[in-house]
Amino acid sequence: MPPAAARRAAVIALALAVAVAFADSSIVVLALPELYTEFETSIPGVAWVVTAYNLVVAVAAFALRPALRRMRPAPLLLAGLVVFLGASVACGLAGDLAVLIIARCVQGLGAALVLAASLPIMVALAATAETGAMRWAAAGAVGAAVGPALGGVLTELASWRAIFIFQAPVAAVALIALAVPAARALGPERPAPRAHTGAANWGLVFAFGALVGALFLAVLMVVTVWDLGPLAGAVVVSALPIAALLVRPLSVALSPVEGVGGGALLLAGGLAGLAFLPTVSPALAAVCLGVCGLGFGLVVPPLTRASVPGVEGLGQRATVSVGARHAGLVLALVLIAPVVATGLERGGEVATINATAVVLDAEIGVDVKVPVALALRDEFERTPRGEVPDLARPFDENGAGDDEAVRSARDDLVDAIQAALTRGFRYAYLLAALFALLVPLPLLIARLARRPA
Amino acid sequence: MSLSRRTARIVLALLVAGAALMVGVMIASGARDFGTSLSRPPCTPAPAFPGDGLDATLQRVVLDGLEGAACELGATREELVLSLAPSDIRPRDIRWDDATIQRAVRSGLVQSIDQAEDRGSLPGPLASVLRAVAERAPVEFLINRGGDLAGIVDAVRSADPGDLLRLLGRIDPGDLLDLIRP
Repeated sequence: MPPAAARRAAVIALALAVAVAFADSSIVVLALPELYTEFETSIPGVAWVVTAYNLVVAVAAFALRPALRRMRPAPLLLAGLVVFLGASVACGLAGDLAVLIIARCVQGLGAALVLAASLPIMVALAATAETGAMRWAAAGAVGAAVGPALGGVLTELASWRAIFIFQAPVAAVALIALAVPAARALGPERPAPRAHTGAANWGLVFAFGALVGALFLAVLMVVTVWDLGPLAGAVVVSALPIAALLVRPLSVALSPVEGVGGGALLLAGGLAGLAFLPTVSPALAAVCLGVCGLGFGLVVPPLTRASVPGVEGLGQRATVSVGARHAGLVLALVLIAPVVATGLERGGEVATINATAVVLDAEIGVDVKVPVALALRDEFERTPRGEVPDLARPFDENGAGDDEAVRSARDDLVDAIQAALTRGFRYAYLLAALFALLVPLPLLIARLARRPA
Repeated sequence: MSLSRRTARIVLALLVAGAALMVGVMIASGARDFGTSLSRPPCTPAPAFPGDGLDATLQRVVLDGLEGAACELGATREELVLSLAPSDIRPRDIRWDDATIQRAVRSGLVQSIDQAEDRGSLPGPLASVLRAVAERAPVEFLINRGGDLAGIVDAVRSADPGDLLRLLGRIDPGDLLDLIRP
């Protein structure tokens, strides 16, 4: 292969590995209901499949910073890809939850190595440092945003195990980046010169925290509560990455301050829209997620450029930037999870009361109403844990196909339950919107602090 | 596609304004009440169950009875019904024991039957039978054998009303209760 073609192939392969490492933060979200049922675990237990990965990436990324001054990026990337590949296979074959969580921790370690070592190599493979850094940032942003949709498609087409098995060849192919002499020739980095990157990294903490609201909560809502299924859920959630890509020309034309400020408002606006949905509507949710995507696409590029400035000490700065993003995801998960759990518990109680009201007031004969009510009670009792009872079935078995009144009662019941549970997400979305509003704050504080008295 | 800084600022301003407008429209379109409880506060008069005939009358009697029982307990009609449900779907803050619930349900149903009889919407013999059932049949029996009761209503529907009333008039409620008591 000619050197230019080999270089191009290496850039694509490495960008895919970076995207997958970022996507792994959220890729498993659409499979959580399946994992919950298969491993017969609790909600906090299954949440560790997501949290463990992000926590290890955050901690390992910060810990790797000094190693980049002593080690060459190529061996670090090799180690990272091999660890990531092995751990991905182990995740895909895991027989119980403990093994899966341990494998996810190892996968996080591999991802941290890949993400830290890939930026200097990406820059070495590009014509200019700026191009290399931009490719790395774009791969990361796309990966983070596209994760749930990709996971949803793989879960629907195969199973949750396919999510992890699919990642192994991506990691293996990325090894070709190490075949390019320019990548292998890179030496250890000199200490990164002093730069004001703290504010940008704090901004990334809040931006990725807000992303938890947009992706994790929306996925849980459309798949579990609205019963759309992983594939249809993936279509709805895809509005976010698509909008993030479409807004790129705007992002390039705006100043960093305008991009971060306006993007934060859009991200918060999209999340507020999700919090105040007036009806169960996948289309409306997709619009709100699209607004979130516009905001995310405007916020992340300038923050990434500010957190990884210049060409000196790129890897060291990348580790902090990666650590900040994953710390934001973990922070948001830790804060938002109890809020959504409480909201859904309350929503579940309201849903039960509303379902009772709908059945009592349904304008159907008592000869249908009583069997339906008893069948609904039985449906609640026989539904395995982790699964949503099929509350439409008792109506369908009692003439919903032919009788308009029974059909109408069935639809009213399903609507009442979905509405109450959807409202249960409100405060969690608003908390995520608060994260979005905090994105520009560190930059603002840093600006004021640097201003001469 | 490259945008000038000025155009980009205008587009950004429009997007932000559009997002704010979207949230405003959503709130104005009913987001505030979306997913809230459909229960009426306790002791609030409820609209009567619509319809004519024996089926609608029976449903009105039962629903009015439940309203009355719930009012006596200071609860909503739905809380009262759910307090009779299996523990996994029972509201957490049930504050009454089973005996209190049964007493309230019987009293509410009997009152509702009396009112329906006074209004003339329930024939006297049928009111006597229903009153006897409401006073003496175990509430669990009424729930678990509800399907059978629905079958009886089906039979009632297909029977000649005159014959049925004459038949009901000859039934001794006590004997009936002895028959259905588990």
